[in-house]
Amino acid sequence: MITIPLEQRLEILADSAKYDVSCSSSGSNRAGRAGALGSTSVSGVCHTWTADGRCISLLKILLTNACIYDCAYCLNRRSNDIHRAMFTSDEIVELTMNFYRRNYIEGLFLSTGVIRSADYTMEQLIAVARRLREVERFNGYIHLKLVPGADPLLIAQAGRYADRVSINIELPSRRSLALLAPDKPREMVINPMRQVSGLIVEAREARKESRRAPRFAPAGQSTQLIVGATPESDREIITLTEGLYKKLELKRVYYSAFVPGSSDNRLPMMPAPPLLREHRLYQADWLLRFYGFAAHELLDEARPNLDMRFDPKSDWALRHLELFPVEVNRVDYELLLRVPGIGVRSAQRIVQARRGSRLGEIELKKLGVVLKRARYFLTAGGRYLGGIRLDGPRLMERMLAPARRPARLDQLDLFASLPDASALTGEL
Amino acid sequence: MITYRYDGSFEGFICAVAACLEGGDGQPEFVQGCAVQMAGLFAGEVCEVATVRERAMAFRKRFVEAVSQEAFATARYAFHSRKAGGELLLWRYLALGLKMGERFCLMLAEEPVHSINRLARQVLCEAHKYKGFIRFREVEAGFLYARIEPEADILPFIAPHFVERVGDRLWMIHDLGRNQAALYDLKSWRLIRDIELAADPAFTDAEQEYTSLWQRYFQRHAIKERHNPKLQQKHVPLRYRKHLVEFTFPDPSFDKGESTNR
Repeated sequence: MITIPLEQRLEILADSAKYDVSCSSSGSNRAGRAGALGSTSVSGVCHTWTADGRCISLLKILLTNACIYDCAYCLNRRSNDIHRAMFTSDEIVELTMNFYRRNYIEGLFLSTGVIRSADYTMEQLIAVARRLREVERFNGYIHLKLVPGADPLLIAQAGRYADRVSINIELPSRRSLALLAPDKPREMVINPMRQVSGLIVEAREARKESRRAPRFAPAGQSTQLIVGATPESDREIITLTEGLYKKLELKRVYYSAFVPGSSDNRLPMMPAPPLLREHRLYQADWLLRFYGFAAHELLDEARPNLDMRFDPKSDWALRHLELFPVEVNRVDYELLLRVPGIGVRSAQRIVQARRGSRLGEIELKKLGVVLKRARYFLTAGGRYLGGIRLDGPRLMERMLAPARRPARLDQLDLFASLPDASALTGEL
Repeated sequence: MITYRYDGSFEGFICAVAACLEGGDGQPEFVQGCAVQMAGLFAGEVCEVATVRERAMAFRKRFVEAVSQEAFATARYAFHSRKAGGELLLWRYLALGLKMGERFCLMLAEEPVHSINRLARQVLCEAHKYKGFIRFREVEAGFLYARIEPEADILPFIAPHFVERVGDRLWMIHDLGRNQAALYDLKSWRLIRDIELAADPAFTDAEQEYTSLWQRYFQRHAIKERHNPKLQQKHVPLRYRKHLVEFTFPDPSFDKGESTNR
């Protein structure tokens, strides 16, 4: 596997790594060291975007795409007939240092297929990270994948070198895991997550006592769920996500629209990956983390799936019209955040600016608040911004309408059949 | 009406603002030293303002105490947008800040605060984008060289980032549009104005190798089933692509003849 030239192996192993969607380089803030390479910035930095519109922030590669497991959804499953390749740790270190120095990347995202055993594989990953940190004195971002089933001691070691660690749940329920990834019981994934969560808290506490205490994955841990490969509802996914954020304090849960490609009859036949569903799940995820929503507010037994026509916040607001419209000059920050179309930044600006002066529609626009959806849920200085008051179904219709102007002007369409020129000024 | 002439730096501008506030001038005008005299017919008295660091720092201290550190940082970002008319707007911003005190921070929706905030945000965003879009290339003279053509004058904001990050090599970030460069000499960085390259820099062999590896990686990393060039263009508008090695394919600067004349 090492006899193939480096550039081809880079292609093969990039190919195999790209379905892991975790991309962020954020959450770690470490100043550079004199004479050494690398620093991390808390916001993360994206360096470029590929033809599918996803960002490249880290050099995301596999150590090897050979694997002893046979998970049906995975490109690198044992039974799949693809090229197999492997990097030596020297090669990964060289690539990382040279790409980083040229500012192509923010750091390394190292994952792998499982070879020989979980422990052996995990050791190989740690060896690369250790070399980068201790020999090359690399101070940039490192994201390490944890191998399911690896020894807890190894996992504790991985977090010493990595900024972020992750282990992918992939399938949201136990029965799907049993069906598609029979070699990986759920405990093999959840237990390391629990352990990491505990170690992160421990290290954070220790660092409060002493700045010299060693860090453990300062940028936290993340995971990924595959969407559309199994029949779970959005409710199951979002509830699981909420639990992960609340109980295990994950930094991110990523959703990966399942890209069909395998003829395995345990997998659904789909013409294209469910990108819109993935997008809606991310929107719901943001509502959980930054907007104070709970999973049961977004979805319940009667409505187990997100509405594909609306973003989940609009959907929620339309079901709670009794709370709206709210007065933008008085409403609590928490409720302001729940107005469709108003994001965290807009809400913060509104709260700040309204202490200085009274806000009307013009002021809101100046603050950069987008009123397209928000206007139907706001009054400013007592004036309703949405025009005519509408009841639920008609408001929903209005918000779904693609037209740019309000429906009540439609009767003026007398000249619609005329060519696009001004009839009023006689230019015809 | 007095025209204040300063050297074009932010410190110089602050000195000019300080001078103008001391003079109690309500309608100043600001020109940069390098600019040809454009005041023309209605030109008033011209006042040359010397850039004195202590004076600028004193003004900064006064403003920060009266208003806030963020508001001053905003002014600095907005200044570097180098937009026409920005100086007058900034002068009004700084004067109003001193007058209003802490209440100034709440005037987000009022002029000139709103305009200045917008300018500052544009510069901040562009500076952040360029933290990712700088592409260093190893030249045979033994340093890393990057070219950019940003809209705003962002070098003062990105150079410290790269001082921390690539602290083990000499490097130079060249702003082609403004003929200036940030230069790092392993200790600190400084801004050099009016530079001209005698010839295109010659890149090393290793540079060619890593460029090609990066291009291959970049091509392979896109998922075919999710092809979405519109989204890509939203994030990497075409004007940035000229100096991004992964978008300049095949690379013309590796033509054989060019690497010899330096």
